[in-house]
Amino acid sequence: MAGRRMRHRHRNRHSQKLGGNSCCLYYAQDGRQYVVASAPEVGILKSLGIVENAVIQKKLTYRMGGPVLLKVDSSEIAIGKDFAEKIEVRG
Amino acid sequence: MASCHDVHEDAAVYHKTNKILLMGNPNVGKSVFFSQLTGLQVMSSNYAGTTVTYTEGTMELGGRRYTLIDVPGTYSLDAVSEAEAVAVRFMESSPLAVVCVLDSTNLERNIKLGLELQRFNVPIIYALNLVDVAQRHGVQIDAVQLAQELGAPVVPTVAVKGEGFDRLRQELEKVVSQPGFKPNFPAQIGDQWQLAKQIAARVRNSVSGELSFFDRLGSAVLQPWPGIPIALAVTLASLGVIVQGGKTLEGILLILVENALVPFFATLFSSFIPEGVLLNVLIGEYGIFVISFEWIVALILPYVFMFYVVFSFLEDSGFLPRLSVLFDGIMRKLGVQGGSVITIMMGYGCAVPAIIGSRTATTRKERLIISTVVCFGVPCISQTGALISLFASFSPILLVLMLLLSLVVMAAVALILSRLLKGDVDPMVIEIPNLLMPNGKAYLKKLMLRMRNFALDAEGPMLIAIVIAAVVKETGLLNFVAGYLEPLVSSWLGLPREAVMALILGVVRREMAVAPLLAIEGLTALQAFVGGTVAFLYLPCLSVFGILAKEFNAKVAVAIGLSTAVSAFIVAGVINQVAQLVM
Repeated sequence: MAGRRMRHRHRNRHSQKLGGNSCCLYYAQDGRQYVVASAPEVGILKSLGIVENAVIQKKLTYRMGGPVLLKVDSSEIAIGKDFAEKIEVRG
Repeated sequence: MASCHDVHEDAAVYHKTNKILLMGNPNVGKSVFFSQLTGLQVMSSNYAGTTVTYTEGTMELGGRRYTLIDVPGTYSLDAVSEAEAVAVRFMESSPLAVVCVLDSTNLERNIKLGLELQRFNVPIIYALNLVDVAQRHGVQIDAVQLAQELGAPVVPTVAVKGEGFDRLRQELEKVVSQPGFKPNFPAQIGDQWQLAKQIAARVRNSVSGELSFFDRLGSAVLQPWPGIPIALAVTLASLGVIVQGGKTLEGILLILVENALVPFFATLFSSFIPEGVLLNVLIGEYGIFVISFEWIVALILPYVFMFYVVFSFLEDSGFLPRLSVLFDGIMRKLGVQGGSVITIMMGYGCAVPAIIGSRTATTRKERLIISTVVCFGVPCISQTGALISLFASFSPILLVLMLLLSLVVMAAVALILSRLLKGDVDPMVIEIPNLLMPNGKAYLKKLMLRMRNFALDAEGPMLIAIVIAAVVKETGLLNFVAGYLEPLVSSWLGLPREAVMALILGVVRREMAVAPLLAIEGLTALQAFVGGTVAFLYLPCLSVFGILAKEFNAKVAVAIGLSTAVSAFIVAGVINQVAQLVM
C-alpha cells in the first residue's frame, strides 16, 4: 500500500509537470467538459470511448478515494481513482 | 447468476449450420431478447458480466427451427478480453444471421460495435432497443435513416415490454429463408469511432421528454447524497422483506410439516416397520423424514426463496452497479474495487454462483480475494435463515452482533490477502445502466431457474447430511465421537455435547452447522452466539469446495477449508472465554 501511494504521488508530480492546461482527470474540476490528452492503454477504457481526443464531461468526484463519474457521449461511466489519476485531460 | 449447470464451452456449437447470433454491448437487454425470442428459461441481468458464458436456445421462424446463441456482451471485437475472443470466434463460425442489439441511450458506442460486426460479411438485423428510455431523455432516433446509414434493417424495440418482436422476427425470416443471402454494407471510410459518432449525430433528434420516477431515482442514487442513505435504506428494506417474508413462510410451512407431512410419514412407516433403529432412522427425533421436512422445507426454503425474490429484482433493476460506485472508495481501501460489491452480495445467496461470478474480476488476485472473503465472511442465505431461527428465541441483538462480526471478518480477510498475495487489482471501470422496472416475464423466469438450481444443487448434499445425521444420532455413533471432541466443544467453546452433531454435519452444508443447535434444549444466549459463530466461520459446504477446486485448484480449496475451520474454533473460543471472564 505504501509503495502504491508513493507511485501515485510520483505520478501526480509528473502530471503537474506537464503544465499548461493539461491536468489529471481525478483532480480536474467537477461539472465541466474536457478533452482527453492521454489515457492508459487499457482495453475496457478504449472500449468505453475514453481515448485520446475524446470529449468527456466530468460530473462528480466521490470523496475518500472514491471514483469519478463521467458522461462519455450519452453513457455514464464510473472510473476508479487509480485509473482516473492516469488519465490526462485538457480543459 | 451463472448457474453451475451451464458453465461449459461445447466446441460443437461452432459447427452448427443453423446458428443465429444475438450480439451487442453489455447491459443492452440482450438476455431479455433471448428469453422473448426463444421462450426458453434463461437468466437476464442488468449488470456487466452475467453472460460471460453463452446461452443457447431454439427459435422457430416460418416453421423452421434455428439455434439462437446469446453471445457474451462486448464493447468491441478487438479480442482483448475473453468475452471478445468468444464473440469473434462465433462471428467467424459462419452464422446465418446476427441480431445486433443497439442501446438507444448510448448510440455512439453501440453503433461502433454494429459497424465492427460488418467486417465479417454476415447478414445483420439491428434491434434499436430502449427507445422508450431514450425518448424520456429527450432523444428520438430516426430508425429509417439509421437503416440507410448501416445498410441493414433497423427495428425499434422495447424488449422489457415485448414491443417490436413481431417485426424483428419478420426481418430475420426474410434473411434466413434465402440461402446464400449476402449483405450489402456501405464502405467504411476512416476511424470507426468517428464514423459512429457522425452517424449517431445524423440520426438523433431532440424531442421533449419527461424523465420518469425511475430515471430521476437512477440519477439520485448516484449522488453520495441522497444516494448513500437511499442505498442503506434499500439494503435494510431488502433485509426486512427477506427476514419477515421468510419468517411468515416458515410459520405457514412449519404448520404444514408438523401437522400433516411428518404425522403422515410416521403413520405410514410405523404401520409396516417394527420399532427399532430402522424406524428411528426414518421417523425418530433425527429421522430422515422428520428433519428433511423440518429443516429443508420449513427452515431453509422460505429464506432462499425470499432472497432470490429480492436479489433478482435489485439485479434486473440496475440498482447494483450504483452500489458499486458508492462503495468503491471503501472497497478500494480494503484492497479490492467497487465492482466486487455485486459478487459479495451474490454470496449472501450462495457462495457457488458468487465464486463463478468472480470471473468478472480482471486479475487472479482480485478473484482470489473476493472468493476467500465470500467463503469466510459471507453466510449463505440457507445459513442465515438457520441463524435467524436460532437467535429468534433470544434477542435480535445477537443477529446484529453476528452481522458486525461478518463485516469485521470480511474487512480483515480482504486487508490481509491484499497485502499477502502477489499481483495487482485493477481499478473499477463500470458503465452505469439505466434504472428500470424489471420485465415481469424475464424476472419470473430467472426466479424459477434460480429456485430450480437451488433444488438441484443443494438437495443432494442436504439429503446426504440428513442421512448422516439420522444414522449418527440414532445408532449412538454421536456419543462416541462426542467423547473425543469433548475438550474442544465443552471446555473451549462451552457448548453442550450434542453440538458435536453440528460440527459433523457442517462439513456437508453450512446451514447444517446451525440446524442441530436448534434441536438442543436449554441453550443459553452465549452458547447460541458461540455456536452460531463456529457455524458462520466453519468450513464452506461441499459444493463450495468443489467449485473452488474447479475454478482455482485443490490447493486453494484446501487452504480456504483449513483456514476457515481453524479460525472458526479460535474466534468462537475466544468469544466464549472472554464472555465467561466478563460475565
